[in-house]
Amino acid sequence: MTLKIGIDVGGTFTDFVVTRDGAEPAIFKTLSTPSDPSIAVVNGLRDIAASMNPPMTLEAFAPTIATIVHGTTVTTNATLTGTGAKSGLLTTEGVRDALEMRRGVREEQYNNRYTNVKPLVPRYLRAGIPGRLDRDGVETAPLDLDAVKEAIALFRDEGVQAVSICFMNSFANPAHEQAAAKLVRRELPDAYLSVSTDLLPSIRFYERVSTTALNSYVGPKLNHYLDQLVGRLKGIGFDGLLLIMQSNGGVISPQLARENAALTLLSGPAGGPGAGLHYVRVHGQNKCIITDMGGTSFEASVAVDAPMIKNDGEIARHKIALPMLDIHTIGAGGGSIGWLDEGGLLRMGPQSAGADPGPACYGKGGRLPATTDANVVLGYLDPDFFAGGRMKLDVEAARAAILEHVATPMGLSIEDAAAGMYRVACNNMAQGVREVTIKRGFDPREFPFIPAGGAGPIHSCLICEELEIPLQIVPRESSVLCAFGMLMSELKHDFVRTFVSRLDAIDWAKLGAIIDAMAAEGARLLDEERIPEARRRFDVKLDCRYVKQYHEVSFVVPRELVEAGDAAAIARAFHAEHNRLYGYSLEQENTPVEVINVRVQAIGITDKPVARHEEWAGDDASHALKCKRAVYIPETKKFREVPVYDGHRMRHGNRIDGPAMIEQETTAIFVSASYDCVVDALGSFALYQKGRADLVASCIKDKKEAVA
Amino acid sequence: MSTAKIDPILLSVYARTFRSITDEMSISMEQTTRSPILCEAKDYVTGLYDGDGNMLEQTENLPILAFSLAPVCKYIKDYFGDDLHPGDVIFHNDVFSLGNQNNDVAVFKPVFFEGRLVAWTAVKGHQADIGGAVAGGYNPNAVEVWQEALRIPPVKVVDKGKLRKDVWNLIFANVRLDIVQHDMKAEMGACTVGERRLLELLGKYGVASYDAHKQALFDATRRMMEAEIAKIPNGRYSGEGKVFYDGRHVGSEFTIRVDIEVKDRAIRFDYSRTDPQTNGFVNGTFTSSASATILTLLQMVNPDIPHNEGMVQPIEIVIPEGTILNAAYPKATTFGNHLCPPNADAIQRALAPVMPERVTAGWNNLLASLTTGIDPKTNEKYVDIGFMGLKGGSGAMRGTDGYDHIGMIDASGGVLDQDYEMFEQQTPHRLIRHELMTDSAGAGEWRGGLGVETVFEIGSNDTQLVTFGDGDFEPAFGLFGGCEGGLNFIRLHYPDGTTVVPKNKDLITGVPKGTIYHQVASGGGGYGDPKRRDRKLLAEEIRNGVISEEAAREKYGYAAEGTA
Repeated sequence: MTLKIGIDVGGTFTDFVVTRDGAEPAIFKTLSTPSDPSIAVVNGLRDIAASMNPPMTLEAFAPTIATIVHGTTVTTNATLTGTGAKSGLLTTEGVRDALEMRRGVREEQYNNRYTNVKPLVPRYLRAGIPGRLDRDGVETAPLDLDAVKEAIALFRDEGVQAVSICFMNSFANPAHEQAAAKLVRRELPDAYLSVSTDLLPSIRFYERVSTTALNSYVGPKLNHYLDQLVGRLKGIGFDGLLLIMQSNGGVISPQLARENAALTLLSGPAGGPGAGLHYVRVHGQNKCIITDMGGTSFEASVAVDAPMIKNDGEIARHKIALPMLDIHTIGAGGGSIGWLDEGGLLRMGPQSAGADPGPACYGKGGRLPATTDANVVLGYLDPDFFAGGRMKLDVEAARAAILEHVATPMGLSIEDAAAGMYRVACNNMAQGVREVTIKRGFDPREFPFIPAGGAGPIHSCLICEELEIPLQIVPRESSVLCAFGMLMSELKHDFVRTFVSRLDAIDWAKLGAIIDAMAAEGARLLDEERIPEARRRFDVKLDCRYVKQYHEVSFVVPRELVEAGDAAAIARAFHAEHNRLYGYSLEQENTPVEVINVRVQAIGITDKPVARHEEWAGDDASHALKCKRAVYIPETKKFREVPVYDGHRMRHGNRIDGPAMIEQETTAIFVSASYDCVVDALGSFALYQKGRADLVASCIKDKKEAVA
Repeated sequence: MSTAKIDPILLSVYARTFRSITDEMSISMEQTTRSPILCEAKDYVTGLYDGDGNMLEQTENLPILAFSLAPVCKYIKDYFGDDLHPGDVIFHNDVFSLGNQNNDVAVFKPVFFEGRLVAWTAVKGHQADIGGAVAGGYNPNAVEVWQEALRIPPVKVVDKGKLRKDVWNLIFANVRLDIVQHDMKAEMGACTVGERRLLELLGKYGVASYDAHKQALFDATRRMMEAEIAKIPNGRYSGEGKVFYDGRHVGSEFTIRVDIEVKDRAIRFDYSRTDPQTNGFVNGTFTSSASATILTLLQMVNPDIPHNEGMVQPIEIVIPEGTILNAAYPKATTFGNHLCPPNADAIQRALAPVMPERVTAGWNNLLASLTTGIDPKTNEKYVDIGFMGLKGGSGAMRGTDGYDHIGMIDASGGVLDQDYEMFEQQTPHRLIRHELMTDSAGAGEWRGGLGVETVFEIGSNDTQLVTFGDGDFEPAFGLFGGCEGGLNFIRLHYPDGTTVVPKNKDLITGVPKGTIYHQVASGGGGYGDPKRRDRKLLAEEIRNGVISEEAAREKYGYAAEGTA
């Protein structure tokens, strides 16, 4: 019985999912310890040990853990709060300000008080070094090593902890960067070093210098944290496999994370999307929308066979050009504050009460009405059963906050004001889902919707109604979906090389050699991670565009097509992807296609927890009925007594008609009057539009037989 | 009129949904257009109007387009009167019937619900070519509109769902590039996207609810705008801005004069005292000039105000025909959008005494160049719009320094630099320097935004260079004791040792390989007495080399550590 634990550190809680093959996953939550997050990790492990049957000591338990997959936001937080390392930059003379100017963007065009973001490296620590490569990587001026030494001397005097190196056109020839790196290693052996062509040897100077500087900015912090974590885990006797979550939805060894710290920058929500597919496959689906509603933010993403990936993104307005899951975040969560704008219109967020003081109902001094306050007033949250009853909610405080800030100024009753807050919040989230579906060329109606986060399933019916999505799947683990997803993640290593060429005039041997070189590098890393040949996969992608276009489209290219030199087939794949994304292709016009980058992802398949399929237990759910409670029904705009079920007691096949509430210790689900619910074979709650039982046929006995 | 009850919550839902519709139309444009000025520089606007042509919402990617669609929708509705039907699609660009710029070609689509005209969807984008004497429409020698572009007064290209091939062919027979046909189809597609979503909304809530709520939305927005205007003391305030060189008469100079009258909750911008139109192409259209006025005002108020009819209701704009801001038929007007900076200067100067906490000092004006030639490596033609070189600093305001390298006020940071390495792939040029320019920002308690210096080596023979813009005669002005920014320039250092300084609207041909191109887009104006600037901040800026020690001493009265 293999014991695996996924650990996801959040702002308020650290989530744990414990899996053992064939057993129901167990969920634990413990308060986070922001000053040293590894303390909470050990605290949680102690709770888990104590919950074993029979209870175990931490020291006896830890050696039995085979794998810990860990998601950390240490790098994210350092960037968001501007508390990264003091670092220096060696770059080409004449372009040292690219990092600070960010291509001259001001994100808020009408806001003259909107200032630029503080650069990751101050100007006096950005050294412009003479020496130049041309666009083909040919040296036109030698690197000035004396200038490099001078800069190093300055860095030493200034006590920089990290150094970044990024030169013009180095993607075509890393020689200058390597020469400078050699000097830095010799002269500043203790500094954390990031070399742009090691991290990201692809064209686009601003993207590369920003990514490299980010790596140096967060590298020392992550190293310090991993020292603490590894030390503590060793201290309690853990000697299994420790893996770290990356932004691309894969995991890596702690050693690689130390060297490439920027890979973890957007890893916080990256566990969720991969987990989503696990829950929809039992319904014969290969795609889904995954959303996660936390205290301050709402995240949405799409998976089709695999989570969607993008090749760059942003953090705190800095560009990061490393492959990452395509997750869209908006400021909508349980803590989002309701307010009236100057025109008297009700808005929700993006300001948030956060976890402290939190919504008014937390009773921690918050006076402003938040989404959670509305949920309490509307009856969706049981004030005595929040977090399984560990935290009492103050209904009166919630009502008072809504009365003062929303109901009175709008001339509404408290209930109507709360209903309005709920509706506006749901509308905001629905628009966020449009971003990752419609904008990426997907029709949301064709996707099952997975709401995660403790409060997600309270809002999902209204969101889905707005988007006309007929099927929602609420996993048992929905409140800790990210932690669960980490256990489903593969080892993933991304490589990229710039290779500019017309597709119809490509040097196939050269392209093949570039791919081989990247695959060999990937194989070396998988060797280190002791992944056997049989469990390796190498995916090849090309970034192409029509000649003179500005943006590339990244698409998968089977290795055989490269080996066969089949330009026509590759072009067809490009046209098809372009058409899917943008609604047109230029295949008819015979517009030439050019390659810009070649990518390889080396994948090491990990052992997954074996899912447990429940036996069909009949459609009657009455054994799980807890009580009745009045909740707000959006369809009729009235309160109504609805049955409240204990989710923990519901079994596969149990069916209930909406409207109803389902409660678990860490989640409340509101089944609106437009949906019914059935428990599927994985124990998930499948909410389907009334009249659409066909969507969940595999969960209903007679239909199941008909299918079989 | 309908009497449906207003649901205050539904009102928020309508507002958010309108915005999401114009955003979605905008995404559709971004993804389906092909010309770089559309898909890269995003020089387009998408809008939603009610049946009477009142603006419900719009998404403009560049502030200069803030008001470029609204006036013409009402004009088009009146133009066709009863002759509007489901399935119609109308093109328009004519600057003498409320178009803003010849190359900004609009598509309007009337939306019918239950047999009634209830709304319009509209898209306007800058097309790569629309006929006229010169490719791309930029003709510094033009004096009449026909030398600039094909005029398209409102015309149905699709009639009740049927494409009028004859009309289509007539238009595109006068346009040089095929890509324009494609991009106009993209505009039509975005209008259909908007129509589809609006009809979904109407199907859900009904037309009576829609009518009542849109009116309530206009009222709510109007109240927001009125509240902002009410903060300005009643009175009449005047200001000026200067335009240098009309492209034909060396030494020519023109003045934009605005008289702003604030009365309680209404504001009136009167340009009657502005200089007459030029006999060149340096002229505005009513719509481009009014758009400049509105964007300048919008930057002074709550940036959160929705962009609908209610926003413009308290604003009156008077620009007499025959002035440089509203040229009379049939004058040339291609430079019109670039009259935004001096227009904004006039407004900032006028309002500075009464709303000193909201205005900014002067912004660096645009001076741009475009290089074309044959890349010797590929033997193919390249065109480069020098975005990285043209963006100077913004003006400072009370409490906030200007923004470095943001570019002219009409874009306000909405146009991005080319990436350096992509620049070297797509042109034969070699970049030597692109950096913030020391001491380019106007000194002040709050300094102007820094400008940039751009140097590159031209890599092709017989290179052609077009310049257009301003800011080489008059720097960005300072306010309340703040200093002015620096001057713009473009200089060409030929391999034979000669230096050529193009005029600010010029065409230079035959530039040889090896020529060093040197450009400065300077800084914005400062605000407040430089002597009061935070000393710690100054010390940091000296260390970072964006302010020199001499300038710190002379302008800021800065003495090194401990002696200040």
